[in-house]
Amino acid sequence: MASLARPAPARTAFAEVRFLGMLERPLVLTGELAWLGGDHLRRSVATPYREQSDIADGTLRVQRGQRPPREVSLARAPELKGLLLSFQALLSGDAAALADAFEVRADGDAARWTLHLVPRDAALRRRVTAITVDGAEREPRCMRLDEADGDRSVTLFGAAAEPLPTPHATRAELDARCRGTAAR
Amino acid sequence: MSLRARLVLLALWLAALATLGVGVIARLHVGTDLRSFMPPPATADQKLLMDAIGEGPGSRLLLISLSGAPPERLAALSRGLAAALRRDAHFAQVGNGAFDADLLDNKLLPYRYLLSPTLDAQPLDAAYLRDQLEQRLDDLGSPAAALLKPLLPRDPTLETLKLAERWAPPKSPELRDGVWFSPQGEALLVAQTRASGFDPAAQGVAQDALRRAFAALPDAAAATLALSGPGYFTVIVNASTRAEADRIGRVTTLGFLLMLLAAYRSFAVLGITALPLASGALAGLAALVLGFGEVHGITLAFGFTLLGVAQEYPIRVLSHRRAGATALASVRDLWPLLLTAIASACIAYLAFYASGVTGLKQLAVFTIVGLLVAGLATRYLLPRVLPARFRDAADMPGLGALWRWLRALPRPRWLPALLAIAAAATIALAPGPFWQNDLAALTPVPQPLLARDAALRGALGAPDVRYLLVLQAADADGVLALSERLAPQLDALVARRALDGVELPSRYLPGVATQRARQAKLPDRATLEAALAEAQVELPFRPDLFAPFVADVEAARTLPPLTPAAFARTPLGARLDAMLVPRDGRWLGLATLIGVRDAAALRAWTATTGGAARLLDLKAASESLVAAYRARILRALAVAAVLLVLTVTLALRGARRAWHVLAPMTLATFLVLAVLRGAGVPLSLFHLVALILAAGLGLHYALFFERDTGDAAEQRRTLHATLVCVASAVLVFGMLAWSSLPVLRAIGLTVALGVGFHFCLSILMAPHARQD
Repeated sequence: MASLARPAPARTAFAEVRFLGMLERPLVLTGELAWLGGDHLRRSVATPYREQSDIADGTLRVQRGQRPPREVSLARAPELKGLLLSFQALLSGDAAALADAFEVRADGDAARWTLHLVPRDAALRRRVTAITVDGAEREPRCMRLDEADGDRSVTLFGAAAEPLPTPHATRAELDARCRGTAAR
Repeated sequence: MSLRARLVLLALWLAALATLGVGVIARLHVGTDLRSFMPPPATADQKLLMDAIGEGPGSRLLLISLSGAPPERLAALSRGLAAALRRDAHFAQVGNGAFDADLLDNKLLPYRYLLSPTLDAQPLDAAYLRDQLEQRLDDLGSPAAALLKPLLPRDPTLETLKLAERWAPPKSPELRDGVWFSPQGEALLVAQTRASGFDPAAQGVAQDALRRAFAALPDAAAATLALSGPGYFTVIVNASTRAEADRIGRVTTLGFLLMLLAAYRSFAVLGITALPLASGALAGLAALVLGFGEVHGITLAFGFTLLGVAQEYPIRVLSHRRAGATALASVRDLWPLLLTAIASACIAYLAFYASGVTGLKQLAVFTIVGLLVAGLATRYLLPRVLPARFRDAADMPGLGALWRWLRALPRPRWLPALLAIAAAATIALAPGPFWQNDLAALTPVPQPLLARDAALRGALGAPDVRYLLVLQAADADGVLALSERLAPQLDALVARRALDGVELPSRYLPGVATQRARQAKLPDRATLEAALAEAQVELPFRPDLFAPFVADVEAARTLPPLTPAAFARTPLGARLDAMLVPRDGRWLGLATLIGVRDAAALRAWTATTGGAARLLDLKAASESLVAAYRARILRALAVAAVLLVLTVTLALRGARRAWHVLAPMTLATFLVLAVLRGAGVPLSLFHLVALILAAGLGLHYALFFERDTGDAAEQRRTLHATLVCVASAVLVFGMLAWSSLPVLRAIGLTVALGVGFHFCLSILMAPHARQD
């Protein structure tokens, strides 16, 4: 994992598919994730709408179009905190930070690996049951985040995001893509 | 009297004192709320002031800062402390910036459509719902989705968030890790105590509870807790005044005892002379316990000081004992004079009773009962328990020489007249204000603490402690409606930077009319379902997802409007409750103002409201209250002065003799005033109390020096007694005069100066000295 380490800023294109109980079909978003150093993470959505989210200093700030930004404290949302911690650790390659926040189990070999993360914080674990990160060589390919209510979001990084997933994607298809066993 | 009889009487006396003491202490309840030392309010502003002082939301607010640890640790401590204080009965409200989504409980949740202003501008139609649902869908793709997901089915237009935003403090500090932080990196909290801000005892209990709650948090030792706010100042000022008074008191008590020992050379006598004063003090306390129930701490402190006059009685008895005469016989000789002195002092203190202020009435009862009992004990008990053996004070070495020297001093007749003119000129011409109307100036808060308070108050957007906006209407709903009507005008004033913010009662609860108007705009079930279906076309939301929303809107259509009483059950109920006050059959709304910059603009605006809104300047109201209060006391003192003249004239059976007693006393009092004025000291109530005390002592000196005994030994005894009295008074009050606290310095300096002047003038103006 130490091989993940890279200097800031680290940028990577992403595609995210969200399977939500409230919706009849998944949401698909694309854009760019950037780690700007420190604890500053920026998530810029390009499609299907433009939105920029900044996570820094324990606060999430979401700016969509011309609307006034919405600010949310991370203390209110343990899953945001978990997300931030894992993204940050992955993008900055900080293995120690990752191990601080999660119980980490690794599978596979250097060419194709999987990290299974379970939040150590009980409050976070009540909302986020597991995070799975798949990668190849020095690149993370995909991150799956499972919530306690059955919702799941799958984020594909870099080359793994191509071709873009459609709104008809299923969980199984995406799992396969994450593991790199299909469509590659 | 035999030794045996003396000891039996002494034992009985002590037993009686002990019984009285135990009884009094068991029933004595000491109050510390400063308001019982304030005069009865006369004007409407003063009445509000008395409520606002201590009870006002601003004065009950403690500002809390946590520093000295990394931000995330401080944030955790802030959350822990807020949670602990919310469970603590000493606190009505706690804020640390953390978002509280549960401001309305489930049962009140449908009321959001009546409380939120959304419907005023916007019907719940298909177009609006479509726009809202599209935004919600985008929200679900954002990192904030996890937060909004639980709200969505019931509240797709996010009214609960709009209300939470509306109810957040008007101006709040920066959030870090979800809690308030100052620009200097301190975590900030505010806590509203239930105790009044100017009750040092109750505030002390609440602040101790706060510190204990903080210390019990994990890792608390790593950070520093600091408090500010009126309640905190009350406690520290009270503690530092008491600590300094105690420290000075210990030194002076020791000096006083040593001096009495030197004067009378007997431990037994020393112990016995304390008994009349102790009897007087206990009797005074007993009278307070019987008459008032609760005794104010200041009454006790002042009362014991004023009662110090009574220590003169046993000193006179001891010093005036003649060889060959029993103590009883010499007391009988002195009694007419002592009685005159006691009666005069009682008359002076009656003036306090006439002030109509509870604390001062208590003071009058305590001192008058105390003086009478101490005097009677000196007359009827003390001589019967004094040891038979004693030293005649007239034989004290050096006393004769001193007396001859004093008698030989030149006494130009024009001197008193010159002094009187000089004093009058100084009093009249000295620059600077005559009166001190700002009570806070006497118990000043250290400047660094004030500076920190201002910084914290600014950072937290805490309400201004000086100004309050008062709305008036026939009933509570009228106040709410008025508040809604005035809100846009106040917002305009905020935009013009006349002030930073305002917290109106209608921010929390709109009036019934507004609620009904919003209710009338809510669509019925069929209309809403049709609009929702239209809005949802081609959006991926599950069709039945918003059933809870439809149910809530349907429920809201028939709800009875929310009243302040029903709102009281919500976490913000206490806040609204403190803002709505019934008064004389009408209702007042107290709106707190934040960061008032231009009071004149605010006042000019209130003039345009036709009396519906008034700007209450607590400082001006309190100063007018103090001035009215002083006028009352001065009037009472004038009456007391007349009575005093009559008493002394009657007791001495002649205006000429009375003049010899009253002239030096009056002149000395004016000299003290002149010195204070000349030194630029504005006079406060404390100075007045001290002047009266000094005048009481001066009256004693004048009475005794005026006495024509024609006996050189007796004159030496008078000198001895007076010297002991003067020395002890100068010792006790001279020490207070060195205090760093203005209130103690005011009393100490005035009495010490007064005693000095009274003594010198009594001697210089004594009629016999001149005749010799």
